[in-house]
Amino acid sequence: MKLERIILENFRQYFDRQRLDFARDNQRRVTVIHGVNGAGKTSLFLAINWCLYGRNVENVKVIDNVGELISKEASNRATIGERVRTVVELTFLHNGERYLVRRALQSTKQKDGTVSLDLSEDFTMMRTRANGQAERISNPIGTMNAILPVNVREYFLFDGEKIDNFAKPEAAAQVKQAIYLVLKLEILDRARRHLESAAQDYRKELKQTSGGELRNLIEQEEKTRAEREKAENRKVELEQESESARRKVAEIDQRLRETQNAKFLQQQRDLIERDLKQRRTELDSLLSQIRELATGAYFIIAQPAVDYAIQILDGKRERGEIPSSIRQQFVQDLIERMYCICGRPFTEGSSEHQHLLSLLISSLPSSLENDVLDTSAALRTFSDHAEKHRTDLDAAMRRRIELVDLIKELEGKLDDVGRQLKGSPLEEISRLERQREDFQADMHSYTLEIGSLTERIKQLTRVIADLMKSIDKAQKNERHGRLLGIKLDLAQRAADAIREMYQIFADDMRTRIEAKTKEIFKQLIWKDSHFQDIQLGPDFNLEVIDRYELPARPELSAGERQVLSLSFITAMSRISEEEAPLVMDTPFGRLSSQHRNNITEHLPNLTDQLILFVTDEELRDQARMNLQPYIGAEYRLNFDPRTSCTEIAEVSND
Amino acid sequence: MLRGRLNVLFNSYDPNIRQIIAEVGDLEQRHISMERPRIKDQIDEIITRIARQELKQSDLDTLQE
Repeated sequence: MKLERIILENFRQYFDRQRLDFARDNQRRVTVIHGVNGAGKTSLFLAINWCLYGRNVENVKVIDNVGELISKEASNRATIGERVRTVVELTFLHNGERYLVRRALQSTKQKDGTVSLDLSEDFTMMRTRANGQAERISNPIGTMNAILPVNVREYFLFDGEKIDNFAKPEAAAQVKQAIYLVLKLEILDRARRHLESAAQDYRKELKQTSGGELRNLIEQEEKTRAEREKAENRKVELEQESESARRKVAEIDQRLRETQNAKFLQQQRDLIERDLKQRRTELDSLLSQIRELATGAYFIIAQPAVDYAIQILDGKRERGEIPSSIRQQFVQDLIERMYCICGRPFTEGSSEHQHLLSLLISSLPSSLENDVLDTSAALRTFSDHAEKHRTDLDAAMRRRIELVDLIKELEGKLDDVGRQLKGSPLEEISRLERQREDFQADMHSYTLEIGSLTERIKQLTRVIADLMKSIDKAQKNERHGRLLGIKLDLAQRAADAIREMYQIFADDMRTRIEAKTKEIFKQLIWKDSHFQDIQLGPDFNLEVIDRYELPARPELSAGERQVLSLSFITAMSRISEEEAPLVMDTPFGRLSSQHRNNITEHLPNLTDQLILFVTDEELRDQARMNLQPYIGAEYRLNFDPRTSCTEIAEVSND
Repeated sequence: MLRGRLNVLFNSYDPNIRQIIAEVGDLEQRHISMERPRIKDQIDEIITRIARQELKQSDLDTLQE
């Protein structure tokens, strides 16, 4: 982040619209803003902070107890009802893109002389890409967090008078916090915690999904399919055997037909068998009919209720209630015409009128009458149907008994024919008949087994269909489980990786900051031979070691503490490699000339952009000369006691 | 930027792990000003996306075998 320009409009003592361009040249990277006490240095510093972050971000206070932001001069000059706009607009460059941030307040002058705020702060962030395309940024807080987070900003935009805080003995926590935030340790730590939490959630979810379910189901399906295939093969085998037996029987029958002494019996058997086949077919058909009649017999159960309903309706009809003797429409017409049925007129409220009104109430609407009549007719049909159904069922049952008896009789006759043929004195006929009987017995046996196998195959097919459904479901679950397993593995490994590397990274950063702080401190401190070393321990305690190898921090002067803090902040900025400016409000106030000279000599080389808010006393003589080659922009804040307003005036360096 | 240093730090890890750390890190960075950022769903989205890629690759590898 490199600041390019700031425009202030009616912001505190900056009346009207004023502009300041920051130096951002690689060589001349220093902007100096001069101002006596109260001229508006802190207001300008505040304007940068307010513009970028507002009054606060989340729980981080950016602006606290600074009074009114709206220019009092602008409020004073406004007429009643006139609007006053307070705007700060900041342009900066970051990663090759130009950003424009504008924060505005709008207020209205009241009758009592005060101004009331119209709306809350209006904040806009725009980005111009390298190709010149501009876009409004929808998530400015997230974008600012990626550029310079609010809680990191205080290490780059800081109040010089408070800078020595880091060097105070009790500041270990603050030092640690600064390192955590600026050097991304906080981000790593949060990422680890959140990834571990995600892994924990995935683990919990994974426990609920059963891993071996799919394998078991597939094994079951394989077994069932194998069993079905075996049954099907056996069925085919039996059907072939049965067909072979049937052919043998047919051959024997043919031979018996051709044998003189068996011919008659065989022909008799042919007839009986034909008849038997016909009866059996009829019995099958009859059994289906009986099943249908039995299934549809439910309404016979409702017969008593139907009879009762008919009884009620008949009773009402007998009493003349249904259909009513007087039609509603007829009564309605009489009332409308105000004429009696006999042709005599009547008046409203008369006894005739009253009587007709009472008839109208007791009469039924014609549509309801029709419905009642239809229902009555339908119920009577229902009763007829029930009776017919009962008769049909009885008839079918009787016929079934007849057929069963007939079949038994025919089977008996067949047995008799068989016995006669088997008992034939002719060996050939007897042998053929015995063979036939054996084949028939085989066929019966095959038929039974085929029937049993057919049922088993049907059952296994149903089981397979159910298993396939379960497998499909389990596959979905399993895939989800596999995905969940991978998610758990990734989240846990990522968290572990951060855990493994975190300490290495933290120690590396701490050591680097320690070395850099020492390097800068030795450049900036004038008693460099007295202070031998800087130590930043694992507890983040920032310590200065003197020539006696003793901790010297408690003995540091305020100026020396300021130098130590500045060294630490600058070291952090260098190590973090953040492209951020150092904006320092009155940084040299407490420093003696030796320190000022050293800082002004070295600081410009330690940052990409330096913006200094200084008093004239802070920057003069050698310090001024040291900084001169780096100054790219210089301004003076001229406070006018007559208007209490400050004007930004550019100082020429030519 | 520290990003380069962090990339080097996690160089020895699986590319998917590096990608998760980088993306979750960016997410954390964007929410660093919040004390308790609500980014659980976004982290899950990152992990799920990368896990799906890994699952797809694993299925392809199984088919090729």
